[in-house]
Amino acid sequence: MALQPISPNPNPALIELKDVVKTYSSEAGDFTALKGIHLQVQPGEFLGIVGKSGAGKSTLLNMITGVDRLTSGEVRIRASGQEVSVHSLSENDLALWRGRSMGVVYQSFQLLPMLTLLENIILPMDLCGLYHPRESRRRALQLLEMVEIAEHAHKLPAYISGGQQQRVAIARALANDPPILVADEPTGSLDSVTADHIFDVFESLVQKGKTIVMVTHDMGLMPRFSRHLLLTDGEISPPPASLSSASPRPKK
Amino acid sequence: MRPRWRKVFLDLFENKTRMLLVVFSIAVGVFSIGVIAGAYVIIENDMSASYAANQPANIELRTADFDRDFLATLENAPDIAEVEGRRVFNIRARPLQSQVWTTLNLVAVDDFENNTVNLLTSLQGASEPAKREALLERKVLDELSAAVGDDLVFQLSDGSTQVLRVAGIVQDPTTGADDFLAPPIVYVTMDTLPYLSQPEAFNRIYATVETGENDDAHIRLTAADLADRMERGGGVDVYRTRIALKNEHPLAPTVNAVLGILMALGILIVFLSSSLIANTLAALLNQHLRHIGVMKLVGGRDNQIFAMYLALILAFGVLALLLAVPFGGIGAYQLSLYIADQLGFTLLGYRIVPFSFVIQMAVGIFVPLFAGFVPVINGSRITVLDALSGDLAHETATRDAAGRRRESVFERLENWFDELLLRRGIHLPRPLLISLRNTFRRQNRLLLTLFTLTMGGAIFIAVFNVRTTLFDYMDNVGRYFVADVTLDFDKPYRLSEVERLARQEPGVVDVEGWAFAAVEVLYPDGTLAENLTVLAPPAGSEMISPDPVAGRWVQAGDTRSIAITEGILRSFPNLKPGDYLDVKIAGNEERWQVVGFFKFIDREGLIAYGTYEYFSRETNLANRSVSFRVLTDQHAEPYQRAMSEKLDKRFRDAGFQVSQARPGLSALDNATESLDILVIFLLIMAMLTAVVGAMGLTGTMGMNVLERTREIGIMRAIGAVDAEIMRMVIVEGMVIGGISWLLGLLLSVPFTYLLSYIVSLAVFETPITVVFTPLGYLIWLALVIVLSALASIIPARNAARLTIREVLAYE
Amino acid sequence: MTPAPQNLPPVSPAAPPPAMIDLRRVVKKFKNAAGEFTVLKGIELHIGRGEFVSIVGKSGSGKSTLLNMITGIDHPTSGQVIVNGQDLYTSLNESGRSLWRGRNLGIVFQFFQLLPMLSLLENVMLPMDYAGLYDFDERPRRARQLLGMVGLEQHAHKLPMSVSTGQQQLAAIARALATDPPLLVADEPTGNLDSRSADTIIELFTSLAAQGKTVIMVTHDPSLTERTNRNIIISDGELIADAVALALPLLSHRQMLQVTRQTQPHTFAPGQAILLRDAEVDTFFIIEEGEVEIVLQGKNRADATVARLGRGQYFGEVELLRGGKSIASVRASSTSPVRLLGLPRAAFLATLKESPLTEEAIARSVQSRLQENRAQDRRSVVDALSGTIKKALRRSS
Repeated sequence: MALQPISPNPNPALIELKDVVKTYSSEAGDFTALKGIHLQVQPGEFLGIVGKSGAGKSTLLNMITGVDRLTSGEVRIRASGQEVSVHSLSENDLALWRGRSMGVVYQSFQLLPMLTLLENIILPMDLCGLYHPRESRRRALQLLEMVEIAEHAHKLPAYISGGQQQRVAIARALANDPPILVADEPTGSLDSVTADHIFDVFESLVQKGKTIVMVTHDMGLMPRFSRHLLLTDGEISPPPASLSSASPRPKK
Repeated sequence: MRPRWRKVFLDLFENKTRMLLVVFSIAVGVFSIGVIAGAYVIIENDMSASYAANQPANIELRTADFDRDFLATLENAPDIAEVEGRRVFNIRARPLQSQVWTTLNLVAVDDFENNTVNLLTSLQGASEPAKREALLERKVLDELSAAVGDDLVFQLSDGSTQVLRVAGIVQDPTTGADDFLAPPIVYVTMDTLPYLSQPEAFNRIYATVETGENDDAHIRLTAADLADRMERGGGVDVYRTRIALKNEHPLAPTVNAVLGILMALGILIVFLSSSLIANTLAALLNQHLRHIGVMKLVGGRDNQIFAMYLALILAFGVLALLLAVPFGGIGAYQLSLYIADQLGFTLLGYRIVPFSFVIQMAVGIFVPLFAGFVPVINGSRITVLDALSGDLAHETATRDAAGRRRESVFERLENWFDELLLRRGIHLPRPLLISLRNTFRRQNRLLLTLFTLTMGGAIFIAVFNVRTTLFDYMDNVGRYFVADVTLDFDKPYRLSEVERLARQEPGVVDVEGWAFAAVEVLYPDGTLAENLTVLAPPAGSEMISPDPVAGRWVQAGDTRSIAITEGILRSFPNLKPGDYLDVKIAGNEERWQVVGFFKFIDREGLIAYGTYEYFSRETNLANRSVSFRVLTDQHAEPYQRAMSEKLDKRFRDAGFQVSQARPGLSALDNATESLDILVIFLLIMAMLTAVVGAMGLTGTMGMNVLERTREIGIMRAIGAVDAEIMRMVIVEGMVIGGISWLLGLLLSVPFTYLLSYIVSLAVFETPITVVFTPLGYLIWLALVIVLSALASIIPARNAARLTIREVLAYE
Repeated sequence: MTPAPQNLPPVSPAAPPPAMIDLRRVVKKFKNAAGEFTVLKGIELHIGRGEFVSIVGKSGSGKSTLLNMITGIDHPTSGQVIVNGQDLYTSLNESGRSLWRGRNLGIVFQFFQLLPMLSLLENVMLPMDYAGLYDFDERPRRARQLLGMVGLEQHAHKLPMSVSTGQQQLAAIARALATDPPLLVADEPTGNLDSRSADTIIELFTSLAAQGKTVIMVTHDPSLTERTNRNIIISDGELIADAVALALPLLSHRQMLQVTRQTQPHTFAPGQAILLRDAEVDTFFIIEEGEVEIVLQGKNRADATVARLGRGQYFGEVELLRGGKSIASVRASSTSPVRLLGLPRAAFLATLKESPLTEEAIARSVQSRLQENRAQDRRSVVDALSGTIKKALRRSS
């Protein structure tokens, strides 16, 4: 899927959040996790959303993936040749759309423990039916090669290291060749060297034209995004001045 | 294999314990249904087939003696196909080495080779005895040990003995098929009779009809006609008529009714196991939330997930079938064999019963699908967010429109209880509180578990109550068996004569001579309705303590009056005390008044009581009797037995022709024995339900512990030691057990009534008074406490073994 | 229920050992299907009574494992863990540690804190039940007091799910204090709280430490570490020297660890000279303990102390960066001995190259020190007559 590199044209944004509000109700009272987020992500961006735990990062990500329902606002995504308002889809349509248009990577890898790495990668293709079974097997092997785990293809997730598991998770996220990759603290449970390598994988994907949105609490990663946002208490805030020199400003 | 189906396949074996639990709980239901349905079909078919194959007599007449020439005149009677004469009488026998006498029915057959009615099947040795030889019906071997070639000693009525050699063992599925408590049979040839001081004359007619061999009314008419020919044409009195259909074993209705009860229990077990399956599957789905979340995340839709888990359930069902169907088949055959053996018929051989196979398939496939449907629907509809967060905190609380938790009945009850304690300033120790509250956290699961355990318990208790009810009924019947020894003679003796001799035996307290009459109760159209035995003790006899349920008992001065068992209501449903019955006694038709009803076990005809004063005259035996009742100073069965033997010897020595002397309780014992078999079957079913209940509890406790590992970690972190954790789990299990016991207490009442009703109808053909016993309640209490402790011990040990690190190693 | 003592019996009858926590060469290895990992690589750690300590580390650094060692939740592969005078792993089994923990240790976790089926009050009472401490009737009173202390008295009878996460956390702290343990361990206690709730909790910890409790808190929030007495950083299974972290806060943890490994310890007696002016400087010094004085001496002029540097401060950077000789003399302060960590020149320069932020910060520090020196130089002209120090310096050279 060839995607246009970033361009200043009035190209419509790939991901667009309009005044997204998310309020959780509990017996202890209401808690507003997202307080009207406006956000546009252009094709080919590597966007980092940085914030402390509790700032609403994961909630924001769940709004983009449609995993959680929003309280008000809208999320529009223009991918795979169609424009959808994520939260107007039914749970089922959403699952199918997400399977085809968006790969999701979590901190905890979320591989199915009883399936081999190869099978884990075939699974999305199996469920979405975009590829013929034989084709999907070939494709899965290619993806494993890309993340350099091909030699472990027939092992179970428990038999490889955390870093390797995360590579498999990334490969799985790419199974249906989605234009968008969303990652929630993908390096959060990895040691620093391994985390570096995983980050390299993401960077190479951006170079191949994927659009990536990643949330993290690790301020040290900020320089490596093509653009980053700070999320504080459910709001996007300008980056603190003290660090401004160290982090490239997002392009306007 | 595509990954999703491979996942289903791997999920199947993911957790061996859970797989075994699910498979076993399905298998238990399939197995019990398979055994009972299989046995039902096999017995229903083979019992009657085996019966029919031996050419059962449609008509059996007990008559006065007659000879071959007279028999020949009957061969041309209308619609009679075959007719045979035999001689049947009671005799005592023992093996050469033994001193213990066994009462047997001796049957003399005229022509073994051309035997056409009530055929014998040769099992061993000769199929035909020579002169002074005997064939043993195989049930004889249950009573005494003998083999082909052995000699048996027979005691004649004058006390002398004769020895007959055993020529063979045979099976007779037809003679006495309606009374499996009748004495076993020995067959001899007619020319052996003189050795046994018996005349070479027949006293039984066995006949088959030409047409309508399964038509009750037709056979009745033919029998009446045949009896008429004998009495009018030959002057041979007919004492008793018994008719039977060719293709229905006389005990088939009873056996089918009992199997029906077992079937009902089997269906109940299926229900219970289905609630167990529902519980386990719900827990499985819960544990798989994360997997479901991942699959939905990468594009899986509801119906795909649904199909996967449905396939998983089907696989469980198939595994259970693989396990249960063969065992069910074997079990069905073994049960049939046992029943066939008890009732003296042969099975047509081992086979797979298609009906039972189909039922098992249906149960094995549909019950799990049915039970798993709700959990699977819920599981496949869960949102990705809930699934991925693996959030079990939802528990089962319902939410109102505003998304707030609504209090359940349990919680309200608990809050009320808490406040009650608080107001009185009582604080329960927190560890106990945890167990108590944990009990009520997963309410659906708790309800299902309680359902299974309570039903199991209620059935268990009910079975004990039914057992007591039956035995109580037998005790009531015992009112009519107060006499310690029954002394029967081959000819009438004077009362005073017998009494004098009997009283010489130390220990004898009282002696009564009873009159006895075998009569036929007739329908208004003159056909046979029931065979009736009238027992006539002296008015005001001490040897019975009658307990009429309607009307009154017979009393001095009554003529042509009887108190009759309720069994008569089968034929005359509208009969009331004061009404009249037409009877035929010694060939004369009379009209008797029914003064009252009582409860009794009706076997081989009905029982009625009259007064000796009237019936002894009626039978021309005034001041004489063939049957005496003796009261002794002790009433234990061994004493009665000893007294029987002493009296037997004393009378024989004095030259009396003793037919037999029996301990009074022996008749009752035989009946009790057959009830015991039934009770054992019921108990087996009760144990099965209890086992299913215990499995349910084990599963529930296991799931509870599994889902609370984090909490257990917290408890450890704040200082709970192993014993504390184990106690917490076990107390919870016992609380559930205790609640189920209380509920079982209530539920057992209707169950007892229902089961008693069905069983008594099947066995006694009349509803009987229900009696409750604390025994079942106590045994079940002990059992449920032990079971629930056991059911919790393994999960508790697992819980205590968890180290905090494992528990808190989230992500 | 036997009447329980009001206070915990001292673990050792003699004077309590000075350290609350004493880890000696603690090694922890994990084995899994993918191989063997050494998560803790010989940790030496001593924490005194009444200290409020934060432990910081990235995920995978071993900080949770370290905490599990201290709480007796996990056991080390080798080494010794002594907490409050009790050797946790040689004399206690799992169940014994549970009991020990109940009496000596309050634990506060980030998630899954309170037992959901018990009210806040009951949750707080539970540790007393387990430990068998306090009279049965005394327990509710004490629990109520503790809830009062964290401001939750009016919520005492609510279930945890009916109060906010912040309140749950406070209740968890009250529970951790139920058996009056001398040590409080908190794993990311503010991890999912808003900043105001987090504040309350830190204040509570501070006051508990002031009352003599030892408080250990794991966090990754730098704004919280500033408020503790001491910050321990763990990276890849090793502890970073406190002083390195203080001196070079902008390094990544891995870089700090690198620096910690490359430094050599040096100890100087009170008043002892460390560097002389115009001497060749080839080491970057970080002060681990004690104070140093920076002394300027004009020619024929009395020495002037231009600055005193303490724990976590450094010197030698100006010369290493600009090249050349020492611009000032440095000596141990006269009151106490000084422990220094010395980083060789090459390692220092390599570190700066790796961390532009640190380079920038050091450059700024060099700038300001030079300015200060120049100003001091002018001032020192005025009072340059004292010769005593000059003599001392000559003596020491």
